Amino acid sequence: MLLEVVSEALKLIIFAGLALAGILAILIWRKDRKTKVSCLRFFVQAVATTAFFFIFSYTAQLLIILVVIFALSIFLGRFFCGWLCPFGLYLDLVTAVRKALKIRYWNLPDKVNKFLNKLRYVLLLFFIALPFILERIEPWQWSLAKFLMGPFKPISVLLGPVEPLVVPWESSLKLYGMNLSYPYASIIAFYSGENLAIITISIFIGLTLASSFAVRRFWCRFCPTGVSFAVLNRFKIFQRIPLLRLNKVEEKCTKCGICKRVCPAQVTDVYEEKGGDITTSMCMLCLRCIEMCPYEDCLKLNMAGKTLFRSRNWLEPSKIE
Amino acid sequence: MRCGTTGSSNKKYGIEISQKEAEELRNAIRATSIKVMEEYIERMKKTWPNRPEAMQYFYDVAKFFGTREREIQKAKEEGRKVIGYTCMFTPIELILAADAIPVRVSSGFYDPVKLGNRIVPVEVCPVVRSTIGVEMIGLSPYLELSDALITPLTCDGMTKLSEILSDRKPVWILHPPRLKDSDQSMFFWIEELRTLKAKIERLTGTRIIAKKLKAAIEVMHKATRAFRRLQEIRKGAPVIMGRDAMLVNQTSMWDDIERWTRKTEELCNELEKRIQEKAWACPPETPRVMIAGSPTIWPDNWKLPNIIEEASPQGVIVADELCSGDRFLFDPVGVDEWTMNDMFKAVAERYLLPSTCPCFTSEDGNKDRVNWLTARIKERQVDGVIYHVFRGCMLYAMEYMRIKRVLEKINVPVYYLDTDYTREDVGQIKTRVEAFLEMLKSRAEF
Amino acid sequence: MIVAGLDMGVQNVKVVLLKDGEILSHGMAPSSFEPEKAVEQVFQEALKRAGIAYNDIAHVAATGVGVELAPHVDSKISVVSADAKAAVYLYPSARTVIDIGAEESRVIKCDENGTVLDFALNERCAAGAGVFLEAMARALEVKLEDMGRLSLKARGTTSISATCVIFGESDVVSLIHKQEPKHEIARAIYDALAERIVLMIHRVGLKPDVVLVGGVAKDVGFAAALKRKLETEILIPQNPEYAGALGAALYAMENLRGDKNGRRQL
Repeated sequence: MLLEVVSEALKLIIFAGLALAGILAILIWRKDRKTKVSCLRFFVQAVATTAFFFIFSYTAQLLIILVVIFALSIFLGRFFCGWLCPFGLYLDLVTAVRKALKIRYWNLPDKVNKFLNKLRYVLLLFFIALPFILERIEPWQWSLAKFLMGPFKPISVLLGPVEPLVVPWESSLKLYGMNLSYPYASIIAFYSGENLAIITISIFIGLTLASSFAVRRFWCRFCPTGVSFAVLNRFKIFQRIPLLRLNKVEEKCTKCGICKRVCPAQVTDVYEEKGGDITTSMCMLCLRCIEMCPYEDCLKLNMAGKTLFRSRNWLEPSKIE
Repeated sequence: MRCGTTGSSNKKYGIEISQKEAEELRNAIRATSIKVMEEYIERMKKTWPNRPEAMQYFYDVAKFFGTREREIQKAKEEGRKVIGYTCMFTPIELILAADAIPVRVSSGFYDPVKLGNRIVPVEVCPVVRSTIGVEMIGLSPYLELSDALITPLTCDGMTKLSEILSDRKPVWILHPPRLKDSDQSMFFWIEELRTLKAKIERLTGTRIIAKKLKAAIEVMHKATRAFRRLQEIRKGAPVIMGRDAMLVNQTSMWDDIERWTRKTEELCNELEKRIQEKAWACPPETPRVMIAGSPTIWPDNWKLPNIIEEASPQGVIVADELCSGDRFLFDPVGVDEWTMNDMFKAVAERYLLPSTCPCFTSEDGNKDRVNWLTARIKERQVDGVIYHVFRGCMLYAMEYMRIKRVLEKINVPVYYLDTDYTREDVGQIKTRVEAFLEMLKSRAEF
Repeated sequence: MIVAGLDMGVQNVKVVLLKDGEILSHGMAPSSFEPEKAVEQVFQEALKRAGIAYNDIAHVAATGVGVELAPHVDSKISVVSADAKAAVYLYPSARTVIDIGAEESRVIKCDENGTVLDFALNERCAAGAGVFLEAMARALEVKLEDMGRLSLKARGTTSISATCVIFGESDVVSLIHKQEPKHEIARAIYDALAERIVLMIHRVGLKPDVVLVGGVAKDVGFAAALKRKLETEILIPQNPEYAGALGAALYAMENLRGDKNGRRQL
């Protein structure tokens, strides 16, 4: 028994050690300032996805996972979306494939994008209300456990993006004895029923990957989980809480528009706002804008007042920071 | 090549000048200009006796009618095309991607203004009048060697200049929108550049493909980097005199950009060493001046910088907001993905959005220009701004009040200096500049 | 300690001698093609009045439009700074200084120490300076010295353009033909000049007290016109044309005493 625990702990320590080593390696060896943070983010996403897989294989206590993620995001804003979300990793991988093929991306028209941003609140409500509509659960039968436990229960839509590709429970997709899944797959399977599950899941996979091939991070613009992180920000009282905030120095901004163009979520606030605190709820904190801003100290990522990351003159290669 | 009195009947502006007169004037003004350039370079050398070796290259390239002209001539004979441009809105990356040679053809010669006065009234911007005069007699080597001219329509003078120049050279008109901050403007501007791209491809016979555009963007990245490095160096105590830095900036407009980049990097290496050794070009307490406004184009427009840096008390030019100076290579092209789509958009955005030209207007009063000025003043510890405006330059003249109020708030004195393409007001300018520099000096002492 | 301040003006060269901070004497001579002679002349006059010799002077500072031509000076200063120093010396409450010379006019904003805060000069054309009055007096066919008193009789029934000397002249001639009385035209002339000066003042900002110096300050007609336009009191010192030279002399004294770092100008 003890041996098991020790070996598990050792595995964890090795895993953490490798992760840290990888992070440091990227920070030191990646000289190109324009892609350093993006590389780092990719790596952290991969680490997080692997971590989620391990967590799922140990415990299906999704409640704990959800609570931890939400707690973090109260303080970190939509950091999860940019750095920890496995679904985000898959979409970014699709984007990487597209870039390698030198195919261009498409932007949604501004009005459509803004509409989708508003739509996500409705979608969130819809998904949460859906089980009540379909299953006609009596309110008093509804318990917290039912709300959050297990991937089979459709109410756990908030954990949709975190579903790993290989799951330790029975799933509709099987390959060589492994149970495969995909973000939101078990929820879709639940609603579609046994027969249609594979078809609907495949359609969903096809749609999300194809749309993200054309439009960067397409799902993220109306993802219910994403908006649930942001929903707190809608209320002015909570706007002070997330510790990670984007800041812009008005004078140094030349309105060159690079930040607006490189943003995968098509956030225009960074460009349009004059200066000061420019954190918005659609921003996934991928930090691409700060990375690509060519003027020193114009855009900054602040945590409780201290600057974690600032825009640099990326024409110069970076020295170790 | 000169247009005589015959054949001018089908020209729109009918530039009437006999071949003989054109030739005489060309030779005369050429001789004067060569003397003027030599004299100004000597004066720059005198003010900065312990200048680094690397500066000599720039002095050589700055001399018109010299080696660079012959280089371009040879390149033309080998089949390359030369594309001239009058204004900074021209996307140089597109020209480089088509293996053509970009040269700026705005004129800095005083004497041809008299010829320009025959075509347009004296109230018109002197840069325009001088360029017209230069074209009439074929004075500028770069203008003569150009196979086509790109003329962005930024101000009224530039707009009509393109018509006048089109009498003798193919002119490609580029129309930057006067409002930056709208989607329609960006869409329109990108379409303008697409049309321009097609014209460049047709002239040079080279298709601008993604690979070539990427190479061109990277060449300009290196140039911007060298340029920014030099500007960084000017932030501290002066290791380079302002006129020399301005000359380095300007030579990038007609020199081979890759060679220019190398030489500027060498110069920066030497200057950075000097910062360590504290080998100042002039005493660190020298009042630090910034010139803002109408461009001072080499050679004759060194009139004002000469006065500033040779006055007593001496001033040193540490910054400028001139499209012939610190504005030229300041902004890089920020490419996200190296696809044709993104690169083209990046190039288009770079030439329109960060521009601080007063030809733009906005509801917040061209705040971009105000921000740029303020940021430079703070980062280079500018003591005072000389607001240099040519007679007839409506845009800069009208923005003066706006700039003055902003600078008053940050307690930086600004002096409105209006001048023209003439050598006669040197005495007057000297009086004013010396009074201004004395004022800066005594402010610093209190 | 005796110091001298030399003002190489366009029309006249002026000198002021200071002894221990008090004005000792002054001198004036017309500028000519030979500035050396003019400088010699003024010094002769001033030295004789003071009863001292040239070698008694410890430091000579020069200013003025023709300052480059001044022989044997120890330091130089711009007219703008000199005017500010002189104004504050004469009137410690002075904050705006207006100097109307023969060909150049200046408006200077200063603080209580005589430090220049902002300034404006007439741009390129002499229509805002003394020569304007000379040309107008000629057109009106009166003596310049008399035109001032003449204008005081007027009520201000007419006006002329102030854009340019040439335009002004033709305005005057047409008014004479219309048989406007001479004193009205005279007042119009001073009003026109004052208008131009007021435009310059607006570039710099008016702050009381206002001091008027320069040759034209002696002209009662102009002083009255300016007072009318500004609607404020104007302080005019005795011998206002010596303000530049006085400022230079004060600067010379500062140099000697080492007030302003004691540094000599290049």
